[in-house]
Amino acid sequence: MRRYIAKRLLHSLVVVWIVATVVFAVVRAIPGDPVQLMLGGDATQEAREQLRTQLGLDEPIYVQYARWMGRLAQGDLGESLSTGVPVLELLIQVGQPTVSIGLLGMLIALSIAIPAGLISALHQYEWDDYVATFIAFLGISMPGFWVGILLIVFISQRFEFLPAFGYVGPGEGIRAWFSHIILPAIAVGVPYGGIIMRMMRSSMLEVMNEDYMRTARAKGLSPQLIVMKHAFQNALIPVVTIAGILLGTLLGGVVAVEIVFGIQGLGRLLINSVHQRDFPVVQGSIVIIAVIFVLTNLLVDLLYTVLNPKIKYGDGGES
Amino acid sequence: MSNPMLEIENLHVEFETEDESVQAVDGISFEIHPGEVYGIVGESGSGKSVTALSIMALLDSNANVTADRVRFDGTDLLSKTDSEMRSIRGGEISMIFQDPMNSLNPVITVGEQIAEVVRHHGDVNESTNLVQEMRRKYVTGTSADSASWRRAVELLETVGIPDPETRAQEYPHQLSGGMRQRVMIAQALAGDPSLILADEPTTALDVSIEAQILNQLLDLRDEFGVSVLLITHDLGVVRETCDRVAVMYAGELMEKAAVEELFEDPQHPYTRGLMQSIPRLTDDREMLDVIEGSVPNLAAKPPGCPFQDRCAWAFEACTQPLEEHEVDPGHDVACHLHREDIPEELGEWNSPTAVRTDGGDDR
Repeated sequence: MRRYIAKRLLHSLVVVWIVATVVFAVVRAIPGDPVQLMLGGDATQEAREQLRTQLGLDEPIYVQYARWMGRLAQGDLGESLSTGVPVLELLIQVGQPTVSIGLLGMLIALSIAIPAGLISALHQYEWDDYVATFIAFLGISMPGFWVGILLIVFISQRFEFLPAFGYVGPGEGIRAWFSHIILPAIAVGVPYGGIIMRMMRSSMLEVMNEDYMRTARAKGLSPQLIVMKHAFQNALIPVVTIAGILLGTLLGGVVAVEIVFGIQGLGRLLINSVHQRDFPVVQGSIVIIAVIFVLTNLLVDLLYTVLNPKIKYGDGGES
Repeated sequence: MSNPMLEIENLHVEFETEDESVQAVDGISFEIHPGEVYGIVGESGSGKSVTALSIMALLDSNANVTADRVRFDGTDLLSKTDSEMRSIRGGEISMIFQDPMNSLNPVITVGEQIAEVVRHHGDVNESTNLVQEMRRKYVTGTSADSASWRRAVELLETVGIPDPETRAQEYPHQLSGGMRQRVMIAQALAGDPSLILADEPTTALDVSIEAQILNQLLDLRDEFGVSVLLITHDLGVVRETCDRVAVMYAGELMEKAAVEELFEDPQHPYTRGLMQSIPRLTDDREMLDVIEGSVPNLAAKPPGCPFQDRCAWAFEACTQPLEEHEVDPGHDVACHLHREDIPEELGEWNSPTAVRTDGGDDR
């Protein structure tokens, strides 16, 4: 198991390196010059050259690449071209709201969607199944930022309940923090939860038709026990896969939702830095997102071993 | 003779679909005595499994089960409530299914799958409420010191699984096919049943394992005195294991007899057809004899005998409702050829070498 994790982490490193290289190339391939954008059109050629040297942009591309890689290997993401603030510091600043919203959104979505999918499957074609299915499809069809706008209009504006704008860190009071992230979290959670609910429903329906469910009934177990002990864990296995894969989509949803709610998050930082051609910030943000991705995937795979005894990541290979 | 353990009289099972209704079981009657191994043999789709599932009340809600009588150990099963049926299922009547890979839960240890039956139907005095069961499943695991677990290990040993303490901790995918079926048997024994319904218990296994499993079943019958209803499509299995047997075709029982009698003196053209299609070591036949045609559509069965379209000896009377003829004590045949008034030219049908000479179906 330990060896498996080590191997996976090594793979992850390779993936992150590839992402970093591609990002490095792409940000330099898009037209636009950071120096020009920083100094404006009126600056003299001399001033531009000076700033360029100062920022190290006059050196050949491979030198820039090697320098960036060298610092990355030490965990140093460099400094912003425009403000000189270390990228890591920027990321920690904006990462807090993004991660809070993402995690809370996922938590809300899972804790509603999984029970709803379960009940829906058990009451297939009854009124509660129709209601749950209708809501799930509604959720799937609405992008998070649109849900966010609806929440602002109908909850914040109409009832003057919960703030519609900005972010407050947990350091300034848990209540204030929570009240600022709950609406954006719901907004990102709705489309995510809709898909999870549908997955849970179909997975549960499939499991209920398995031969071992008939065996469980033939043992004279109560219907509740049959569902919770014999079906639930089996039904959860494919749902975890989807929940893990969709985390990426969820993160993408957060970026859009942050803008609707006027929150300075990772999304806004990324967009602004692309506009300014602030290479180190773009590169750093993308690398961090890649790291989050790779680690959640690893986490999901490890969760499998808990849910599915057939999967063992031992030293003897995978079965 | 002792009272039967199971008495079935005129059992019908009908499946309702949107545009048709299918008679999967069409008026069958049989009884099983204590300690007896009773076989039901038939082709796929003849209604064998449905019969077993209807006894356990395990069919889906689109199945309509009616019978003049389904009595188990003197009590009427048809009038039982859901919760009364639950205490019988797995307890007094248990079931072994065909495919042991898919019939065992992949995420529960085999020990626990047996132990839960012990807790529900045995007298181990361990709580089986939902909260306790959930705690066992998801938090603590089943204690290896609990009486139910010890019983489960004992049962694994009884069915011939080596190193049962270790095996009990394993999951179904870690066991071989034969071992899994032994686990199924241990699970079926765990509630101390008086009747086991074994639905094709060896079909998914290879031949040498099949023999071991069948012997195991017979040993357990001798040891615990349970009755067994053995459902199979394999006449060889019937011959090796059963005391009495019923031949099922298209939801109806064609012939019922003691096993030796059925093999020595089959009295139904369908049973004969089945016997002739068994390969023999002494065969010099190039091709095996087959029964021409195929099983009738159960949603639109012809009136009368379901076998009439494939039967070489069919005549006018075959479209009339079937009745059972007792050709010998304990040997019943549902075939119009056993009537007194069959056409003269068919009189020869019962000799072993008979070939129909009047040109076949003259209806």
